[in-house]
Amino acid sequence: MTFEKIINLSLIYATLRSATPIIYASLCAAITQQADILNIGTEGIMLTGAFTAVTVSYLTGSWLLAVIVAMLAGLVMASVIAVGHLKYGAEITAIGIGINMFALAFTKYMLNSLLGKTGSFTDPKIIGIPKVHLAFLDNSPALNELFNNWAVTEWFAFILVGILTFVLFKTVWGLRLRAVGKFPMAAQTAGINVTAMRYQALAISGLVGGLAGAHLSLGYSKMFTENMTNGRGFMGVAAMFFGGAHPVLTAIGCLVFGFADSIGARLQAYGVPSQFVLLMPYVVTVAVLAISMATKQSREARKKSALITTAPSTLTEKRG
Amino acid sequence: MRDFGKSLIRFALIIALSLVIGAIFIMIIGENPISAYAALVKGAFVGKLNLGKTLANFTPLMLTALAFAVGAKGGAFNVGVEGEVFLGGIAAAYIGIHWGFLPMPIHLLACFLGAMIVAAMWAFIPGALKAYYGVNEVCSTILLNYVAFYITSYLVSGPMSAGVANAQSDPVADQVKLYQFMKPSSANVGMFIAIIVGIIAIWILNKTTFGYKIRTVGLNASHAEYVGINPKHTFVKTMIFSGVLGGIAGCIEILGVHGYFLNNFAANIGFNGMLAALVVKNNLILTPFMAFFLGALKSGALGLQQATSVPKSIVDTITAVFIIIATMDLLFQFKKKKQIQQSDEPLKPEASQEKEA
Repeated sequence: MTFEKIINLSLIYATLRSATPIIYASLCAAITQQADILNIGTEGIMLTGAFTAVTVSYLTGSWLLAVIVAMLAGLVMASVIAVGHLKYGAEITAIGIGINMFALAFTKYMLNSLLGKTGSFTDPKIIGIPKVHLAFLDNSPALNELFNNWAVTEWFAFILVGILTFVLFKTVWGLRLRAVGKFPMAAQTAGINVTAMRYQALAISGLVGGLAGAHLSLGYSKMFTENMTNGRGFMGVAAMFFGGAHPVLTAIGCLVFGFADSIGARLQAYGVPSQFVLLMPYVVTVAVLAISMATKQSREARKKSALITTAPSTLTEKRG
Repeated sequence: MRDFGKSLIRFALIIALSLVIGAIFIMIIGENPISAYAALVKGAFVGKLNLGKTLANFTPLMLTALAFAVGAKGGAFNVGVEGEVFLGGIAAAYIGIHWGFLPMPIHLLACFLGAMIVAAMWAFIPGALKAYYGVNEVCSTILLNYVAFYITSYLVSGPMSAGVANAQSDPVADQVKLYQFMKPSSANVGMFIAIIVGIIAIWILNKTTFGYKIRTVGLNASHAEYVGINPKHTFVKTMIFSGVLGGIAGCIEILGVHGYFLNNFAANIGFNGMLAALVVKNNLILTPFMAFFLGALKSGALGLQQATSVPKSIVDTITAVFIIIATMDLLFQFKKKKQIQQSDEPLKPEASQEKEA
């Protein structure tokens, strides 16, 4: 086993590449978390987006249209969550799980009946998201390997992190949204329409989640398989917890998972059983999540220890 | 009793609405929804084989549904039942294969105990992470499900492999196999074990101090702490309790249905159990009935696919629609809402204007 073959420049690109779908998913979860809504339905929104994107791309041959329709499909799924949770009092985790189940079953059903395939769907008529070729990088082999030929949506993931950070922390809307998440009653007293803010957060989350799916099926790969998100939505939610719903920190969390994913893929060539490779991102996710939450807790406890002596119970936290 | 009648009416309305939505999905692909539903019912109940399949599906679902409901009573949203089923199953298979030197009743007991212990240890991880570090248990249990699946998958394709084309273990000793009473279906005496375990679980939760602690922490952790119950310890124990039930489900599946550990044998058993519990709002008495209903849907789905050209995933789709609608507490309570609005109107005329805007 040679170290250089596992850790090299292309590992960085591989990490970024496998992290981008999770980054989108984590942003989808982060927006709603800022409004104190735990969006467990991320996985389902993403899967619906992935299926819609592939279908539209196959039928129309336009990747841009496919991405837009996928985002709208994500919006529809998020609206179901929004109406169920905000209007009809559904427990957010329960309806999120329901949405995930629905997305899994419905995409399978449509794959079988609409496209006449079982398992997976791939066709030369599917137009993927184009790659960005930067000609001026061709001369430098290192930069060329690192930054050339990224899919448009891979670049956009990082732009979106910036946009969301700006919107959340530098605009009035973002301030209001965070106020709703921190203390809804105070926000209401200040004249903010709490319910409307939550609807908006879920709607944007749906659009981002749809984009996540479109990127997964058209940018990251060029096909659709049953349950192709395979826990990426949940990893996104885990990354969101890791980053405390801050877009930049959240994205950094995703890079850790992407790193675990891509280094695992390399280890497989050296006789490590495939199951260990496949379970690595999940183990890393849980471990990172546990460590980050533990340090956060001890930090907060230290902050408070000067003021009061009793540590708050983690169980009394309300779940949105 | 009036509340019970009301919830029954609500239940019927939810079923009707999800069947209508399902019918729309079936009509989209140009099939007749009525004949599809007829095939579904026939596939679930008509004939010894179909009925047996329904019972065989019901057994693990009841346990996983109870596992989830017990967790939910203690405030734990345990999505990890599936992983506990997998690991309980592999433990039972290991003991069933290798500990054949034990006499029959002890050997059987060892299988169950092994499954319970391994599943309990697995459930301890997210329980402790949540109680002591505040790691959201929904997230960690879902991710740990994948880990559990890959661990068992590795074991049956590597160290415990039977060396055949499918990834599966050697068969367990004949003496621990549970008797299948409705051949050719795989319904087995595990069903009665499951029912007894279920009754014990409900008894523990409703009639013992431990159960009282679980329910108190689930209702209000701060209150529990105030009256001298340690909410963290109780939370971890709740998860372990939930895990044990999942482990038993895995054990029964291995010893009763398969007789060996088949890779991915528990796909969606945990999830469907969770759905059964969610639909009835974790009501322990109603949970088994809902599990039976889902079990019937599952076996009916096969009949549906064979009899018509509707793919069986439609059943999962309708079930999911059913869950989504069922989670919406305030749906089908139009009357109550209107009454409140009317009584409010003389006081706050602007309230109705807001609604329109």
